[in-house]
Amino acid sequence: MTELVQEEVKLAPDAAVLQAARNFAETLADTPQFKAYEAAAERRSRDAAAQQAMAAYRSKQSSLQAMLMLNAVSGRDRDELEHLRQELLSNPSVAAHLQAQEDLTVLCRAAADLLSERIGLSFTAACGPGCC
Amino acid sequence: MKASSVTLPPGLQAATETLAQQLLQAEPIARYHRAKDALEKDAQARSLLERLSAAQANLRVRQARGSITQDEIRSLRGLQDQVQSNPVIMDYALAQQEALAYLPQVNQTISELLGVDFAALAGPASC
Repeated sequence: MTELVQEEVKLAPDAAVLQAARNFAETLADTPQFKAYEAAAERRSRDAAAQQAMAAYRSKQSSLQAMLMLNAVSGRDRDELEHLRQELLSNPSVAAHLQAQEDLTVLCRAAADLLSERIGLSFTAACGPGCC
Repeated sequence: MKASSVTLPPGLQAATETLAQQLLQAEPIARYHRAKDALEKDAQARSLLERLSAAQANLRVRQARGSITQDEIRSLRGLQDQVQSNPVIMDYALAQQEALAYLPQVNQTISELLGVDFAALAGPASC
């Protein structure tokens, strides 16, 4: 086995850690907050009006991306984008999904904070954007 | 790391504590804590890090004013060289790096089961 592979093996979580991680995930998935989040996501994905509003907002946002980054969007475009955003947020299934996500985030944050406190390292900071 | 004021349901609290216990026994995390303890007990190494931190902060202020001297830059580099030559500090840095590289793998296991990125969901609000 090469030294690099040996090093990777040493750093891979062992069976006990993986089992504890799986148990953690299963327990979290069993909470009312997670179930509500999944149900809200499902409802939103089946809501044609919500999908349409999301597509319209994303399309407008995408077309303005370069200008947004330069903070050079015209007042008219900014107003239109905000209007599309409000239309999206006023959709009941979108609003319900966002609320469910917020409720789940509060729970996950509490669990992650406890985990981080116990291990003496920030779990979420270690798993920065795009780590999975 | 401050614990949240939100109360976890008992089952989730227990599962989190069990995961934490297993992580503390995992070699990268255990090694990190050993290296951290060694650094905390080494007054000379700690002093060196404090001097480096102070020198960097001072240089940032002077850089903003456009008044850095070559001697100050040389002095900073000298401190950096001393830090990189200190085995206790470098052991801690490497151990921390490995511990931080280990945790995303745990997050991956959790996230694959959930169907959503746990750490992203639990992280600070994005801007």
